[in-house]
Amino acid sequence: MTKQYAKLGFILAAFSLVACVGLSFVYAATKDRIANQASVQLQASLKELFPEADAFKDVTADLGGSFKGATLDAAYLVERSGAPMGMAVKASGNSYGGPATLLVGVGIDRRIAGVRVLDSKDTPGLGYNAMNPSYFVDKATKKTFPGQFTGKALTDGFAVKQDVAAIAAATITSKALTGIIKASGDAAQAYLEHTSSVGGN
Amino acid sequence: MMKIFIIALLINNVVLMRYIALCSYIGMTGEVGQSVGMGFAVTFVTVIATAATWPLYHFVLVPLGLEFLKILVFILVIASLVQLVEYYLKKNVPGLYAAMGIYLPLITTNCAILAVTFENISNNYSFLTSIVYSVGVSAGYLLAMILLAGVRVRIKNSTVPKFLAGTPILFVSTSLIAIAFMGFSGLIK
Amino acid sequence: MNRLWKQFKQGLIYENPLLMLMIGLCSALAVTTSVSNAIGMGLAMTFVLLCSEVMISAFRKTIPESIRMPIFIIVIAAFTTIIDYTMQAYFPALSKSMGVFIPLIVVNCIIMGRVEAFAYKQKPLICVADALGMGLGYTWVLVGIAAIRELLGNGTLAGIQVMPDSFQPILFFTLSPGGFLVFALFISLNLWLKGRMQKSAAAKAEAKNQEVAA
Repeated sequence: MTKQYAKLGFILAAFSLVACVGLSFVYAATKDRIANQASVQLQASLKELFPEADAFKDVTADLGGSFKGATLDAAYLVERSGAPMGMAVKASGNSYGGPATLLVGVGIDRRIAGVRVLDSKDTPGLGYNAMNPSYFVDKATKKTFPGQFTGKALTDGFAVKQDVAAIAAATITSKALTGIIKASGDAAQAYLEHTSSVGGN
Repeated sequence: MMKIFIIALLINNVVLMRYIALCSYIGMTGEVGQSVGMGFAVTFVTVIATAATWPLYHFVLVPLGLEFLKILVFILVIASLVQLVEYYLKKNVPGLYAAMGIYLPLITTNCAILAVTFENISNNYSFLTSIVYSVGVSAGYLLAMILLAGVRVRIKNSTVPKFLAGTPILFVSTSLIAIAFMGFSGLIK
Repeated sequence: MNRLWKQFKQGLIYENPLLMLMIGLCSALAVTTSVSNAIGMGLAMTFVLLCSEVMISAFRKTIPESIRMPIFIIVIAAFTTIIDYTMQAYFPALSKSMGVFIPLIVVNCIIMGRVEAFAYKQKPLICVADALGMGLGYTWVLVGIAAIRELLGNGTLAGIQVMPDSFQPILFFTLSPGGFLVFALFISLNLWLKGRMQKSAAAKAEAKNQEVAA
């Protein structure tokens, strides 16, 4: 009787072992490529927001204070020839279907240099369109949802549907993303003002 | 956290908005009693599964570098849990066991349970948030099941256009319930 | 060869998993907001179905009946993980937009059902035909629904603007109620076609009987 169970257990274990070994091979083969994608996307987005910059200093440790509505994952001081051009903040916050991650660039003129949505867990065809480069909230000027924030001053209004155009049928997503953008913009502005007041380079 | 619960229950309802767990939704809503039983069983398994898989992932798989075994391990955990629930019911609540019949093992293939366990990981929820999320999602599932079961009772006594008879009318009704649920999106500021 | 072709057609049309057997609905409707998602999902599911059916069929003599379910799960989960990681590595945008539905292939009723009912009892070669038929049957229905939903709800097909600029997209079709409605109409159309096929088959049988009697 126990021999019967032992045989069953052995077959089960054999299948599991083969599965695990096979999967570890696939994982090893794809792991680096997948890990690369996040950093490649970040670097490419940073370059898109600040095309004239030549250095992105990681200043995540220096970012003080907490800002409601977003978790600040990383912050980069953007420099050109040693002089600060602005800041890029990578922030995440809760959106409709899960956390969304954005990269918000703020220039030293206290205007948003641009916004990129790095990751979204919202519904494809609706909230996920924030990441879609061919989805326009304003068809006449061909502005995408994150694109409409370029050049917007941080002192402007950020009310969705009044100052900010929402994604059709995705108001919760639009509000959530706008909240993250505002919080990141404020955090970046606070840091830039701090460094300039301290007489930083 | 309350926001995540409300969104999971009403606004981003797992069945009506996200199309998950449709197999059991169509198959198990013949009677209201059946759908309530199924809904509660799924709730129980989902919460226990979350409580089991979250620590398993964060304290065993990740430190050992075995994240790629997530799909395999999670589905086996759920399958074992359902087996355990089956044994327990068979021994202690034979009436319910007999009533649920073959639908009990089918809980293993319920997409909602597995979806919740995966999303707890991919959304980086803390343990407490994961539990709240799993309760919210399964409560949403239960709600959708009861609603459709109630509607089906009325469909039985109505005249259905010939081209919609059978399953199509169920999906049309679901479509209407979903439209109603879309009204909930105003709940979140 | 004829047998293989017949088995292939079974899954594609006569026993279409979504329209006829009504299984595998879980991951079906969610990915039909865009044609590219639908194609990705259909092909991913076909891959897992094909590999699982072939593997289980090849080893069917060594799988004891009492533990066949856990072993099916292990095999299907392994191939789901493979396609998940492969898509993350080589099709990251598609993988992200499909989110949790790729890992959910592991509980796709079609795969479980087919493996249990078919692959466990048949030889590998006919399992290939069955898997391809079922998988592609699943894919074409998905793409059909997605084409309607994306065209009417967004004016595009696979991201390419097809409708003229003056076309106002009917957002209803991108939203969930629209998906249910389109699916209801698909099933209704399919039931009607099935009815007609059965009527013509019955008529043919009648004619044959009368010939024999005469």
